[in-house]
Amino acid sequence: MSMRIHLSVLRRHSLMPALVVLQVALACAILCNVLFLVQQKLAPLLAPSGVATDELILVDRMDSQAQPWTAAEVRRGEQVLREVPGVRDASAAFGLPMVPGALMDMALQGGNGVKIGVNGYLGAGLVKTLGLQLVAGRDFLPDEYHDFGLDGDGSHGWDPVAQQPIIITRALADQLFDDGHALGKLMSDLHDNQGNGHGYRVVGIVRHLLRNQLGLATDGRADNTVLLARRIGSTSILNFAVRVDPSMHDAVLKRVAAAIQREFGARMKEGATARVSFYSERRAQAFQRQRAALWLFAGVTLAVVIVTVIGIMGLTGFWVQKRTRQIGIRRALGARKVDILRYFLVENLLIVGVGIAIGMLLASLGNRLLMRHYELVHLPWTYLPWGALVMVILSQLAVLGPALRASAVPPVVATRSV
Amino acid sequence: MIRYSLELALHGLRRSPKSTVLAIVTVALGLAASMTTLALLHQLSADPLPGRSQNLYLAWVDTVQAKPDSYESLNDVTHPDFKRIKMADAQALVQEHRAVRQAALAGLDADVSTTEGEHVQKAQSLLGTTSELVPMFGVALRYGRNWSAAEDAARAPVAVIDVDLAQKLFGTGNVVGRSIRLDKTVFRVIGVSTPFAPQPHFFGLDRWAFSDSDLENVFVPYTAALDAGLIPGGSDGCDDKTKRSLFDVDPARCAWLAYWVELDTPQQVADYRTYLDHYAAQQPRLAELAKPAKAQLFGVSEWLAKQNVIPDNARMNVWLAMSFLLLCMANVAGLLTAKFLRRSGEIGIRRALGAPRRVVFMQYVLEATAVSALGGAVALPLTLLGLWIVRLQDQGFTDLARLDPLMFAGLFALSLLVGVLVGVVPAWRASTIEPGLQVKSV
Repeated sequence: MSMRIHLSVLRRHSLMPALVVLQVALACAILCNVLFLVQQKLAPLLAPSGVATDELILVDRMDSQAQPWTAAEVRRGEQVLREVPGVRDASAAFGLPMVPGALMDMALQGGNGVKIGVNGYLGAGLVKTLGLQLVAGRDFLPDEYHDFGLDGDGSHGWDPVAQQPIIITRALADQLFDDGHALGKLMSDLHDNQGNGHGYRVVGIVRHLLRNQLGLATDGRADNTVLLARRIGSTSILNFAVRVDPSMHDAVLKRVAAAIQREFGARMKEGATARVSFYSERRAQAFQRQRAALWLFAGVTLAVVIVTVIGIMGLTGFWVQKRTRQIGIRRALGARKVDILRYFLVENLLIVGVGIAIGMLLASLGNRLLMRHYELVHLPWTYLPWGALVMVILSQLAVLGPALRASAVPPVVATRSV
Repeated sequence: MIRYSLELALHGLRRSPKSTVLAIVTVALGLAASMTTLALLHQLSADPLPGRSQNLYLAWVDTVQAKPDSYESLNDVTHPDFKRIKMADAQALVQEHRAVRQAALAGLDADVSTTEGEHVQKAQSLLGTTSELVPMFGVALRYGRNWSAAEDAARAPVAVIDVDLAQKLFGTGNVVGRSIRLDKTVFRVIGVSTPFAPQPHFFGLDRWAFSDSDLENVFVPYTAALDAGLIPGGSDGCDDKTKRSLFDVDPARCAWLAYWVELDTPQQVADYRTYLDHYAAQQPRLAELAKPAKAQLFGVSEWLAKQNVIPDNARMNVWLAMSFLLLCMANVAGLLTAKFLRRSGEIGIRRALGAPRRVVFMQYVLEATAVSALGGAVALPLTLLGLWIVRLQDQGFTDLARLDPLMFAGLFALSLLVGVLVGVVPAWRASTIEPGLQVKSV
C-alpha cells in the first residue's frame, strides 16, 4: 500500500487524526517531563556510594549540652568505639554520606579552569573507615592531619607556603583536569574557607564517594566529593563513622549504640538520643522520603497512559466503523486480512509520529518554562526518544483492537449499502 | 428552544451510556487533579493576617560590622537572609518609637514546665519579643493582660501563654498569676491568649513557613528570655569581633531579631522609610568596612514573595495537573466527536426539517457542557480524596490542603468552562453535516 493513499485519506478526513495528534502530543510532553522528574529523584539513590555499605555504621544527632564537645572527648570517643568487639575502625567526622546535618560547601578549580561545587568530608582515617577504594595515589599520612574545630579553623599549623593534601574522586579528576591525570596536580579553593590561600595538592584518587547534598547528586554530580586532611577537634556538631564486621550485624549495632550512650550520653542535651544505624538503613530512609513523590509521578503516568490509550482506541474504533464499507471494497478487490491490519497500524504510526514530533517540541518548551521559574535543570534530549518510544508502543497496542476488527470485515460488506 | 435543546442533549447522553460514562470519568479525573493542586496553591498563597497584614512592615537596617560576604556557593547553599537586625538597633528603634506600633521578635526554644516540674512540655517554640507585639499582630487575649513597655525595660520575667498550653500544664484555661518554668527560670503568667498560628508564618520564616503542628505558644520579653539563658537559634551575620564559635549566636553582636512595624497610611510608610535611611546613615564605623548604609522596608506580601514561601513543587504540580486536564479535554473532545457523528442521520433529518446550523451547534455544546458538569460533580469527591492524600504526606505545608467555598465555586466554574471548550469542535463538526447526504442513506 503506497504512502500516497495513506496521506490522501488523512487529508480528506483530517479532524479525527488531528484529535489523535493533539492527544499524543500532550501525553508525550507530559510523559517526557515526568520521566525526567522521576529520574531526578532516583538518581542520587542509585548512584554508587563508594563506601562499604554493609560494614558501615553512621552516628549523628549528638547535640552537646551547653558546651561543645572537646577535642579530648572526641579522641576518647574514637578510642572507645575502636575497642568495641566487632568494630574494625572508627573515625569522628564532619560530613558523611547520607548524613545531611553537617555540610561542607566548597568550590574547587582545577587544571582546566572549570569551577565545580563539591562537598568536603573531614575526619582522620576516613579512607579506611568508609572502605573507599583508592585507584591512584595514597591515603593521607598521619602527620598530615590538622585539627578542625572551635579551637582553630584548621589553618594554623600549616606551612604557609605549602599546599594542603586532598583526596578526590575519579569523576572529579575527569572534570577538573583535561586528561584526567590529577595525581600530584594543584587545585585552588575558590572560597578558601579551609585553606591557607595556596590551594590543594591531589595525593589520592578514590573510585567513588557519594556527596551528602543528595539533592545535587544528579546529572553526573554524585561524586563531587573530596576528603581533607582534618582531625575533628572541639565541635558542637559531631558524627562518627564506624566500620564493623558485617557478620555481627545487629549485635555490633547494639554495642556501638551502648558505647555512644555510655561515653556521650551524660553530656548530651536532655531528651536527645544519638541516631546509630547502618548505611543501608539510611539509604532506605532516603528512599522512603522520595516515595510520596514517586507515587505521585507513577499515578500521573498511569492516568496519562490510560486516558491516551482509551482516547486512541475510541477514536480509531469509530474511524474504522465509518470506513467499514471501504474496507469491504478493498477486501473484495483482493486485499488480504493482514494488508488491512497493516494499513491501520501504519496509519496509526504516521499520525502518532506527527504527534510525537509536536510532543517533543512541547516537552522541551514546557521544561524551559519550568526552568525559568523554578530550580529545575535542563531536560536532556535523551529523554525525548524514551518518551516517544513509550508513546509508539502504547498507541500501536491501542490501535490493535480496532485494526483487528477492521481486518475481520468480510468482503461481502462491499455489496451492502452500509 | 433552550429547553428543547437541553432535552435532546440529555436524551443524547442516555443513548450510548458507555461512552458518556467514559467521557464523564475522564473529565472528572482532569478536573480533580487540577482542583487538588489549585486548592493547595490557593491555601498556600492566603493572607496570613486578614485585615492587618496590609499595614505591617518588616524594617531592616544593616549595621553588622563585617565585610560584605562575597561568598558564592556553587552548591546552591544560601546564607540565611531573613533581614534580622542587631539587638542594639532593636532597642534604639523601639526607644524612638516612630511607627504606630512596633516590636522586635525572635523564635526561641525551651522546655516549658510547671514550677514543681510535674507537667513538662519539651522543646516548645517561644516568641521572645517586646510589649507591642500582642496588639500589633492582634493576638487575642482570653484572660489577664499583656506586658508593658516598662516591664520590657525592667527585663521582667513575665509570660503570655496560649490556652492549649495552659490546659496541658495546669488542666485549666485561666492560669493568670501562676508560674511556669522556661528551662530552669521561673516566669509569671500574666495573660492567656487563644492559639496564634497565622499561615504562612510570615514573621518567623527562619523557623518554618507552614505548619499545623508548630506554633509559638509562649510570648515573653526577649530581654527576660536572654536572662533565662535561652539562646537565639540563628542569625543573619555577626560582627567580626564576635567570639569565634562555629555554630552559636552571640546575642550582643549578631543580627537575630526581626523588627516589625505597623504603618497605617502611605504617608507614614514614606516617613518611616526616610527615618530608617537616616538611622542607617548615622551608623559609625560602617564606612571603614566599605559598606554603604542600607535600610529596607518590606510589606507582608512583598516579604512572602521575596522569601519564596510557596514551595516550588506545589506550583510545579499545578502545571502538571493543568497539562493533564488539557490531555483529558482533548480526549473528551475526541470521544464526543465520535459520539455526535454516530448520530449523523438524526442531525441530517433535523437539518432537513429546517433546524438551522446554530441550533444544532447549540444543542451539542449543551450536551458537552452537561457531560462536563456531571464530570465536575464526580470530581468533587475525587478532589476531596486527592486533598486527603496530600494531607497524608508530611511536608509541613501539605497540612493546609483543604477545599474552601471559593475553590468549590472555582471547581464549578472550571467544569463549565471545560465543557464549552471541549464542546466547540465536535458541535461545529456536527453542525456542518450536509442534510442531503444523510437523508439519502437512511
